[in-house]
Amino acid sequence: MPNYELLNNVDHKNVKVITDRAARYGDNVHCVMTFPTEFRRIQSCYPIFFQKDANTGKFFPLALLGFEEGENLFLTENGWDANYVPLMIQRHPFLIGYQEDSEAPEGKRPVVSIDMDSPRVSESEGETVFLPHGGTSEFLTAMTEVLEEIQVGHQMNDAFIEALLEFDLIESVSMEIGLNDGSKRQLLGLYTINEERLDQLDGEALGKLQKLGFLLPVYMILASLSSFRTLIDKRNERLEVA
Amino acid sequence: MSKPVNTVVIVGGGTAGWLTAGLLAAEYCARPDSAFRVVLIESPDVGPIGVGEGTWPTMRLSLEKIGVSETDFIRECDASFKQGTRFCAWQEGHDEYYYHPFTPPQGFNELTLGQYWWPHRKQVSFADAVSPQGKASDLALAPKQIVTPEFASVLNYGYHLDAGKFSGFLAAHCTEKLGVTHILDNVVAINSTESGDIQSLTTQSGETLEGDLFVDCTGFAALLIGKHFEIPYQSRREFLFNDRALAVQVPRSEPDEPIASTTLSTAQGAGWIWDIGLPSRRGVGYAYSSDHTDDEQAEADLRTYLSGISDAAFAESCTPRQIKFSPGYRKELWHRNCVAIGLSGGFVEPLEASALVMIELSAKMLAEQLPANRAVMDIVARRFNEKFRYHWHRIVEFLKLHYVLSRRSDTEYWRENRDPKTIPADLQESLDLWRYQSPWRDDLPQFDELFSAASYQYVLYGMDFETRAPDVDRRSFTANRAVAEDLFTDNNRRTAQLLKALPTNRELIGKVHEVGFQKI
Repeated sequence: MPNYELLNNVDHKNVKVITDRAARYGDNVHCVMTFPTEFRRIQSCYPIFFQKDANTGKFFPLALLGFEEGENLFLTENGWDANYVPLMIQRHPFLIGYQEDSEAPEGKRPVVSIDMDSPRVSESEGETVFLPHGGTSEFLTAMTEVLEEIQVGHQMNDAFIEALLEFDLIESVSMEIGLNDGSKRQLLGLYTINEERLDQLDGEALGKLQKLGFLLPVYMILASLSSFRTLIDKRNERLEVA
Repeated sequence: MSKPVNTVVIVGGGTAGWLTAGLLAAEYCARPDSAFRVVLIESPDVGPIGVGEGTWPTMRLSLEKIGVSETDFIRECDASFKQGTRFCAWQEGHDEYYYHPFTPPQGFNELTLGQYWWPHRKQVSFADAVSPQGKASDLALAPKQIVTPEFASVLNYGYHLDAGKFSGFLAAHCTEKLGVTHILDNVVAINSTESGDIQSLTTQSGETLEGDLFVDCTGFAALLIGKHFEIPYQSRREFLFNDRALAVQVPRSEPDEPIASTTLSTAQGAGWIWDIGLPSRRGVGYAYSSDHTDDEQAEADLRTYLSGISDAAFAESCTPRQIKFSPGYRKELWHRNCVAIGLSGGFVEPLEASALVMIELSAKMLAEQLPANRAVMDIVARRFNEKFRYHWHRIVEFLKLHYVLSRRSDTEYWRENRDPKTIPADLQESLDLWRYQSPWRDDLPQFDELFSAASYQYVLYGMDFETRAPDVDRRSFTANRAVAEDLFTDNNRRTAQLLKALPTNRELIGKVHEVGFQKI
């Protein structure tokens, strides 16, 4: 169970964070949530799909990293094998928490928390979080930016999905992947952009999506599908090694 | 040219009236200013009877066709999911029970499992051997997850709903979205054409309401089909004894009490008690035979049941409402330019929730086959009558099946129910045959039977009826034994999976209220 603490330069002055990518740090996931602002970076490496949150049934976009639970095809013995590491992987062991603040909008303000039970947390190796005199390290500044982008992205996802549903642009896909050894993998519960519907949208609808800033992300999702081939190739490579 | 059918006037604003209005208007794109109109006139003085709170899975299709969202429906009609019926104390009159679930047995289209299950009957009930739904219902689990799209299912389901809220919900949708004209007024006179058709209705406020087709949804009053046309009512009381009901709404003692996955039907000395769980209350009622008990005793028996499920003060002090009915149906359901849908056409005890499904089927056929003009109306009427008389006949037979298989002999009611004089000849014939062959497609003559062979199997084998394995060596029977064993194993595996994956009804309904289902 994660054990989150409000990050501060007193309790956590000696904390270091390991940034290596490996299964032992929890990077062996087959998908991660992503956000419209991140799609451009994601689509060059990973296919983007939608999935429903098991708790709420709400759609959210994700980057697909593997074909089954625990399979991350980009994770190798030498770390992460792709140009870009998704925000939701980069963020560990940090998280945005909220603190009550009557002066902030909605009565709460975002604060940085750290999971002290994460295997990434160390005192001996990794990136420094706070400078000797208590100042913020470059690493922490970068991480704060990651967390901010995630926080904004979360809110944008809700609006993005709402707009897509309004125009019936989401459709379910079921895929069966045939691997070189003749075995098959079934991908269930994934959704994508309904291209036929997108082609049929009139100027008014397209204008609305454009104005909301959602037209580019829609095309980024379509473009990302060419990365699907990378996944299959990587999976086949593993067959040869094994 | 014969007069076209352009205006359909529906009399009565209960569930029957609004479901018919919705299905018709959705199909024909009715608008108040278009050539085709649907007008519903409802008395401001007569409330709906407010029973009929259990549906079949067909209701999902009807709601989808009408164009409402399942989320809105569940939120506004206090609805929950119904996965079948649990019959308690029907075999021996003790604490035994069996399920008639909505999901057909595994491999239902390939083979029947009854004869293969029989040797295992001491270890596992038929329903549990062939479907996960009984086990899921034991745990009050939902038939789907929040990620399942609206109207889609993991296990087959219909609904339990608040009938009063349901008519209001449909009325709002019909008038706001589907262009149905709604008139609140009393019908004071029915005016005929020379030929004897209904030409128009005169209302209390002095209006004349002309129409080409009139739908009688006036409930037991049967204003058009009964009072006006005097179409005789065919009683089926010689087969189905129950002619009274005492109904009461029971508040939930705890707001998060589990919501049952099935209608509970508990056999009594002279009938049976229904128990329908909605999120905010339960609807409970005793359907009984006035020849076999009196009203005081029936009320006392109902209170005894209530004391087991609610607090003692409520069980003692509540005032059940009495409904008297004659089990049966009209000899003609469509006469001239008038068709009866709902209680005006017929009613039997709600043992298999046949009331709402008969409304849906009638309205569906009306919408699909609405005669283009008066000249062809009699042809459609004749077909409609044939079909629905047949449906009624089969309902009576299927309900009776529940009684004849009972081994109860504690009261005259149960003994008399097994008296051959009270058993329809067709049913007796089928029962003789089912001793040697399982009910399947072949012995149900029509392609759109109301109760499929799956329903017959669930009731027969739930009630410990034996279909004997063949005495001689039969190639297909032996060959299918392995298939049957595989299906049983499959069912076990699927049951275990679903019991882990499905939320409880209470959890899922909470989420539907909070976030709702996705359309896809």
